[in-house]
Amino acid sequence: MLKKKMDWVDWVCVIALGVFALIIMIPFFNVVMISITSQKDYLNSTFLVIPRHPTLQSFKRLFEDGRIWSGYKSTLTILTIGMPINVFLTYCMAYGLSRKGYPGRKIIFGLVLFTMIFQGGIVPLYLLMKSLNLTNSLWSVILAYGVNTFYMILVKNYIESLPDSLMESAKLDGAGEWMILFKIILPLSKPILATIVLFYSVDRWNEWYNSMIFIRKQNMFPLQLVLRNIVINSEMAGNVTSASASMQGSQFTMGLKMCAVIMTMLPIMCVYPFLQKHFVKGIMVGAVKG
Amino acid sequence: MTAQDLRRGKKKSLAENARHTCFSVWKHRQIYVILFLPVLWYIIFAYIPMAGLQLAFKDYKANLGIWGSPWNGLENYQYVMRDPAFFKAIGRTLSINLLRLVFVFPFPVMFAIMLNEIRFPRYRKFLQTVMTFPNFLSWVIVSSILINILSFDGMVNGLLSLIGLETVNFLGSEKLFQPLLYMTDVWKSSGWNTIIYLAAITGIDQSQYEAAEVDGASRWQRIVNITLPNLLPTIIIMFILTTGNLMSAGFDQIFNLNNSAVKEVAETLDMYIYRITFQSAPDFGFSTAVSLFRSIVNMILLVLADRGSKAMGGNGLFA
Repeated sequence: MLKKKMDWVDWVCVIALGVFALIIMIPFFNVVMISITSQKDYLNSTFLVIPRHPTLQSFKRLFEDGRIWSGYKSTLTILTIGMPINVFLTYCMAYGLSRKGYPGRKIIFGLVLFTMIFQGGIVPLYLLMKSLNLTNSLWSVILAYGVNTFYMILVKNYIESLPDSLMESAKLDGAGEWMILFKIILPLSKPILATIVLFYSVDRWNEWYNSMIFIRKQNMFPLQLVLRNIVINSEMAGNVTSASASMQGSQFTMGLKMCAVIMTMLPIMCVYPFLQKHFVKGIMVGAVKG
Repeated sequence: MTAQDLRRGKKKSLAENARHTCFSVWKHRQIYVILFLPVLWYIIFAYIPMAGLQLAFKDYKANLGIWGSPWNGLENYQYVMRDPAFFKAIGRTLSINLLRLVFVFPFPVMFAIMLNEIRFPRYRKFLQTVMTFPNFLSWVIVSSILINILSFDGMVNGLLSLIGLETVNFLGSEKLFQPLLYMTDVWKSSGWNTIIYLAAITGIDQSQYEAAEVDGASRWQRIVNITLPNLLPTIIIMFILTTGNLMSAGFDQIFNLNNSAVKEVAETLDMYIYRITFQSAPDFGFSTAVSLFRSIVNMILLVLADRGSKAMGGNGLFA
């Protein structure tokens, strides 16, 4: 590879993409630096914040504040209950639709696809949750997101790409649908299941809109909504145009805010580099199969 | 055979058909059991809300509920037509999304071609990991980071004052709001969107490149004359699919970058619906009317995009 000399195409690509990667990474670096810096160092620095006296003061204040913990509690509840429900429903639907030759298949598939292009919108959904007495309960958030039809089609395509002969021979041996589903298809579907577990987990972790609509109690807010309250809402409430927005009172709010950002993205940041190929693989399955 | 016989024969076959269907349903009963829960979910959380769209033609009364509220014909739409903010919101949505096609859409194509040209596997892998990562952060997080680096004492203004320029109020400027949308969009999702193009590049027949090399074509010529033409179908299909989202797209982003200083220019159709739905004295009939309008327009656009993509030999919306 390196035997060939670098020509200008190499240089342009290496540098342009390198710059873009830096533009992506520097803000994260900045966030981390601010979270461990003191207010004094922050105000003295101009471009990049370099903490001369690193301190965990901001983190301490964030943890004492407590909102971040209740956010973690809600988000983990939604994730640990919601994600398995997502995966189960998606897998059952995908398996059912991958089977052929039973009455009603076409209608069911058509109605499922229709939800991809037409939705009822938030008002009817909100009123439904209210009539089910689910508002102000995490169940509203968990149940509002059940099957992501796009992921379901990924799984369905995957199952359909498995050799038919497997199912045929299982049927000849007298295996029922449940047997085929759990004993034959499930073990073979591990790669695609891993992918949708990841996708659903990320979706659940990043969820905020439904909870903002359905949940009024602050102590039930998921992490993203807590972050929104700490950073964005306070920014909107305080005057954005005021230069002292980051120094309200004697507290170093920007430090606190960046600690909240770190706490919110830490799990994804830690996990992503190791699981990146599974994310990519999953999306490729859908793209390649027609 | 007489006509009567024929009719009888038909009847018989109908009855037979019904019996056959019942038998087939019974034979496949396990599949229906497997499908039961997800189908139930679709009915309750997708189709019942769709039925709730009837509110668009009703005068919603909280005590009567969706089904009990009285019909009022097209009255809600008459109100909508009289609200200038509605038309402004539509215009804004279209202009933002059309400009997204200009300023955001080309980046993944460019990045994919460049990534493909990088000959150091490790560097390439590193770039891919970095570039695809922001896609998995919520707009709440991205916007929070942006508030930090674009604030008055933030990084970008620090850099500007370091090189002797005036500081800029990025987040509170109506003029800069749209460019900010495009830039953050590129920052967050263009890396991830390279994947589909990279896959298409991988699928290009290598002998084309070999033949070009024998003919003495430079790398630049190979990119322009082989990679790009081979990518064109994918580009066109992605372009058509993106136009399916002309009336939606970007609510999360705009909602989280919104603030009191830019709320005028930030009011797209989705934002308008959000505002009229959750304002202090909401009229659910009115907001559902707008929401139904949006859903129908979206559906038409998506179906057109799907047809267009299939006509180009692509997968369509449903992969």
